[in-house]
Amino acid sequence: MGKGGMSHGAGEGKDGGEVENKAAWLLGINTLQIQPFKLPPLGPHDVRVGMKAVGICGSDVHYLKTLRCADFIVKEPMVIGHECAGIIEEVGSEVKALVPGDRVALEPGISCWRCDLCKEGRYNLCSDMKFFATPPVHGCLANQVVHPADLCFKLPDNVSLEEGAMCEPLSVGVHACRRANIGPETRVLVMGAGPIGLVTMLAARAFGAPKIVVVDVDGYRLSVAKELGADETVKVSTNSQDIPEEVAQIHDAMGTEIDITFDCAGFDKTMSTALRATRSGGRVCLIGMGHSEMTVPLTPSAVREVDVIGVFRYKNTWPLCLEFMSNGKIDVKPLITHRFGFSQREVEEAFETSAHGGTAIKVMFNL
Amino acid sequence: MAEGEDNMAAWLIGVKNLQIQPYKLPPLGPHDVKIQIKAVGICGSDVHHFKTMRCANFIVKKPMVIGHECAGVIAEVGSEVKSLMVGDRVAVEGGIGCLRCNLCKEGRYNLCPDMKFFGSPPNNGCLANQVVHPASLCYKLPENISLEEGAMCEPLSVGVHACRRANITPETNALIMGAGPIGLVTMLAAHAFGAPKVVIVDVDEQRLSIAKDLGANQTILVSTNAEDIDEEVEEIQTAMGAWIDVSFDCVGINKTMSTALKATRPGGKVCLIGLACSEMTIPLTPAAAREVDIIGIFRYRNTWPLCIDLLKTGKINVKPLITHRFGFSQNEIEDAFETSAGGGNAIKVMFNL
Repeated sequence: MGKGGMSHGAGEGKDGGEVENKAAWLLGINTLQIQPFKLPPLGPHDVRVGMKAVGICGSDVHYLKTLRCADFIVKEPMVIGHECAGIIEEVGSEVKALVPGDRVALEPGISCWRCDLCKEGRYNLCSDMKFFATPPVHGCLANQVVHPADLCFKLPDNVSLEEGAMCEPLSVGVHACRRANIGPETRVLVMGAGPIGLVTMLAARAFGAPKIVVVDVDGYRLSVAKELGADETVKVSTNSQDIPEEVAQIHDAMGTEIDITFDCAGFDKTMSTALRATRSGGRVCLIGMGHSEMTVPLTPSAVREVDVIGVFRYKNTWPLCLEFMSNGKIDVKPLITHRFGFSQREVEEAFETSAHGGTAIKVMFNL
Repeated sequence: MAEGEDNMAAWLIGVKNLQIQPYKLPPLGPHDVKIQIKAVGICGSDVHHFKTMRCANFIVKKPMVIGHECAGVIAEVGSEVKSLMVGDRVAVEGGIGCLRCNLCKEGRYNLCPDMKFFGSPPNNGCLANQVVHPASLCYKLPENISLEEGAMCEPLSVGVHACRRANITPETNALIMGAGPIGLVTMLAAHAFGAPKVVIVDVDEQRLSIAKDLGANQTILVSTNAEDIDEEVEEIQTAMGAWIDVSFDCVGINKTMSTALKATRPGGKVCLIGLACSEMTIPLTPAAAREVDIIGIFRYRNTWPLCIDLLKTGKINVKPLITHRFGFSQNEIEDAFETSAGGGNAIKVMFNL
């Protein structure tokens, strides 16, 4: 899957004739080109999906700007994008659960299903994971992709394709809330009101968190968080010396102890604040991946049995995300702030918009 | 002690200044017992208080009786005490939680903000002829367990609590950073909890050979040089021969924590027990991105019954850890603390009173 080449694409158009499949290829730093994307043949358990909605993630922007993300390096042209939803166009011979015409959200990562981690259900940690737009695996910003049917989740009637594409970032929040064990008794602090902080906040609320405080350096993002349901917001600085004061402000805002803190930024300052602000016996969930080495007051928090929980992507989250969206417990639509079509100029503009931050939360392609 | 004889204790008067002086006990409450102390161990934190008059945020501002690892014989029982009698041999859990706050009520009383702990200022400790203590924190010793082993329940409890929090089972291979007293009791506890294989590392050959004698499956000599981390992680993983499910950092410095985080398998846990540094610089993000969780440990809770059981059934043998013994006199307590502070082949220094 996802291996396709740059030669003439394959795929049927609506009238049965061949229509070339095109994709947005990352060719070099700041260089995206829409070019043909030849799909692999359809396996018995695969489906071919006509892409309809694709969101841009911070990691996509990072690849565009640097051709790498942590230890993953783009060494050859790669199709970008991993947050998507579309319509089934063709199903493999063994596929029973889906039919052409079904609207589906796609979970990007194909694990090996043979290693111990996969067999334990922690497939997100599989060392042979093949993940959309993590090199060398091609992504999904394309007219069509081929993907395993069991990673395509049928959308309820009242959930749109754009919301389907939002399942991917929302899954990060949902997985974090599960690992952190959010419930009706856990008061939550969220560090960072970017897209991940916001989906984490929405997920925490859906899991029953009675009170959520969100902090950020950006007043505008905090106002968005407030609109989306944050109980309180606190504006913080980038200056480490402000930590004790900010911890006091955060405690005032919460009014009581903080049980769980999500660091959705991942810097020394946010992690240090999180560790200090969380109550004895509480948990800090590190989601953001700002820096590799971090300098944090680990011992004073370990000595209060504040645990640090790691989060990597998600596992088994799509059904729950779709359930939350369908029953209205989570509304992701306000997060989609900018929309673009699938043309060369628009692809470039879309990435520029996303990279710029500011009022852009989720930039979405409609194909 | 005869009527009218002063109760004596080892008081920490100033930096490196311990004096045996009278210690007047509070009156016996209805739920208290008076214990004739027989065995008291010295802990690294006692030595730290001795040398610096502080330990983290706990500062010794007035004279304080030192010591918190003890066992003795019941000398008197309060009016409501039913479970213990005069003459009973008991191991003593040193910390009195408030039992009213949410943490106490949840059972996490070790985290109680009003904890009154032996030898943690301003609370007096137990290196004394007698102490008064709640009966509910005194645990009767079986016939085949000595008073010295009773005193060892305290450090052993740290290892037991860590193994519980880290969820050690017959399927979890464990790495232990540091073969000092805490590393060793953690190793003993890990084996008792069923860990199939335990690899232990240290910078000191002598301590590693003790660990080997006490049952370490493999030992590795490591350096103090951070540049050696990657190579050491490889050696450690090779020595384990399988994934490392849980690592215990019983030292608590950047190098040991960084090694632990890198060596532990995806989805595993690193348990931070050692309390050496306040701020730490560690590769936290790569570990979090492999869902390696960090579990904090503070003292213990509800561990004495299990420790006593493990000692009684022979699943754990702590006797080899007691390397030096002293009596309760002015020059012996000074000697004892010097010996403990000296490290080397001194693991647990024990007073016999």
